[in-house]
Amino acid sequence: MVFSFVSIARFGLMNSGQDPTSQNSAEQDSAASSSDDHRRSFIATGSAIAMTTGLVASYGTFASMAGRFLFPAGGQRSVGWQFVAAVASWQPGKSLEYTAPSGATVVIARHGEADEAEAFIALSSVCPHLGCRVHWESQNDRFFCPCHNGAFDRQGVATQGPPAKAGQSLKAYPLKIEAGLLYVEAPLHSVGGDAPAAVAQNDPSAQNDSSAPDAVQADAVEKGRLS
Amino acid sequence: MTRLADWINERIPVSGEQLRELTNEPVPNHLRRWWFCLGGTPAYLFVVQIFTGILLALYYQPAPASAYESVRYITEEAAFGWYLRSMHKWAATLMIAAVILHQMRVYFTAAYRRPRELNWVIGMALLMCTLLTGFTGYSLVFEQLSYWGATVAANISDAVPVVGGTLKTLLLGGAEYNEHTLSRFFIIHAAILPTTITLLVIVHIAFIRMHGVTELRFDDDPPNEPRHFNFFPDHITTELLIGLLLMVVLSALATILPATLGAKADPLTTPEIIKPEWYFYVSFRWLKLFSLTFAVLSTGFILGAMFLWPWIDVGLRKLTGNEDISVWIGVGGTLLLIGLTVWEAVVTH
Ligand code: HEM
Ligand code: FES
Repeated sequence: MVFSFVSIARFGLMNSGQDPTSQNSAEQDSAASSSDDHRRSFIATGSAIAMTTGLVASYGTFASMAGRFLFPAGGQRSVGWQFVAAVASWQPGKSLEYTAPSGATVVIARHGEADEAEAFIALSSVCPHLGCRVHWESQNDRFFCPCHNGAFDRQGVATQGPPAKAGQSLKAYPLKIEAGLLYVEAPLHSVGGDAPAAVAQNDPSAQNDSSAPDAVQADAVEKGRLS
Repeated sequence: MTRLADWINERIPVSGEQLRELTNEPVPNHLRRWWFCLGGTPAYLFVVQIFTGILLALYYQPAPASAYESVRYITEEAAFGWYLRSMHKWAATLMIAAVILHQMRVYFTAAYRRPRELNWVIGMALLMCTLLTGFTGYSLVFEQLSYWGATVAANISDAVPVVGGTLKTLLLGGAEYNEHTLSRFFIIHAAILPTTITLLVIVHIAFIRMHGVTELRFDDDPPNEPRHFNFFPDHITTELLIGLLLMVVLSALATILPATLGAKADPLTTPEIIKPEWYFYVSFRWLKLFSLTFAVLSTGFILGAMFLWPWIDVGLRKLTGNEDISVWIGVGGTLLLIGLTVWEAVVTH
């Protein structure tokens, strides 16, 4: 900014000094005036460039600051590892409904024998098409997305609608096992969602609370609950 | 009295003659037919929107924690709040309908042809701004449709090639819907778009004044009638009458079918039946029919073609030698538009 104002001021001085002298010089001796003219036009060009650069630089800086302001600070959504259940008490083929601190319900199923994270799957209820929430339809044995009629099978693979056309699947949350306990990396916050109290996290009995406002409905887990 | 006139004249040196010159555009006779006044209708409704919008903004609070409650307050407690909110909603609906009808009139009378190409482009920009204003408007209410509509729209912009991700972040004020989102929508809705529309309308009207309205003659025109009538007072009277009529219609609609308040936005549950406002039925159906990439690219292509239509029209007429080619394409497009809208309207999913 300061730079540009300085160059504007200089350019202004140059201009106001220029007119009378250049008129004079036309009538004066040619040798002296031509080198004078030369110097003058050189300075004029130079200051025009300086002014333009100054303007572009200062307004550019201003614009980039405004542009940067448009992107809020710390916008990353927070996720965190949450304890789900002890692996030993979880039989293959069973699933449970886990309520994340954000209030989102995550259906977690065990489909393998091995005591490793790959034996479990935790499906997100966010539709990969345009972000609506899917829900389980037990009569059709599918997850259904009401926004554009997307449908997904038990494993979360799209079977109908635009997500199927694009070959998408429901996102799976990362899982890990530590010291025989299963953890899921799930979102901690949601906008306007009335998140259940965060204390529920580490209370195993709270995980099976089917009164939670669930997206993936309780009958998704009709195969049984852990107790 | 003359002293007062002198006083005013000295400070505002405009003569009555100049004023008449400025406003008294001769209006071609075909504007006596009502469907040629469709351009004035959205302009009038826009004024209604500014007026009612400013009043609503006195109580509205653009934050996820309080938006819904503030709209409930407007609807149920504020004196005549329900009426003003319903006026705002119905005027929005009618405004969009009027812009579409106005554009169809221009299209089917080929009024976009040389030298009026640029005004067609401005008209298209006005259509886009109006649709966006409607969309950002119903996102403010923070009912279920508001939230899911905004989420879906942001993810659509994410699918735009190259700039999509940035566009989405800019719109939502973050990677996803968050506590900054509503204030953004509010500023876009109540400041940026109305200002843009105002500027575009000024240029639009300036162009109309420079080129004059395309003159049309009809077979049933009386042969010896003068071909123009005065903007003032004749045409302005017509416009005033239309304005009054619109007020009556708006009031009736607002009273009989007031704006309602659906369930509050719940980011964890998408309702089983979800539909946008009627003017987005077409794009909603389009999204259901095709994969996202195709839907976005084809929509971009169609909108681009609409913007550049005056030039595409020239090319097509040269290519086919058919002067009425635009009419046939227009009929096809309109039928498609109506077909998809009706389809979306009659099914639940
Ligand atoms: C092009 C003009 C405009 C259109 C098409 C438009 C459209 C809409 C629509 C469709 C809604 C949702 C209505 C509802 O369901 O309640 C809305 C809400 C709202 N609009 Fe506008 N609007 C326009 C201009 C404005 C202006 C200029 C302002 C303010 C200066 C404004 C302020 C508001 C506010 C505060 C709300 C939310 C409160 C409510 O819904 O009652 N609007 N608008
Ligand atoms: S958002 Fe799920 S099908 Fe479109």
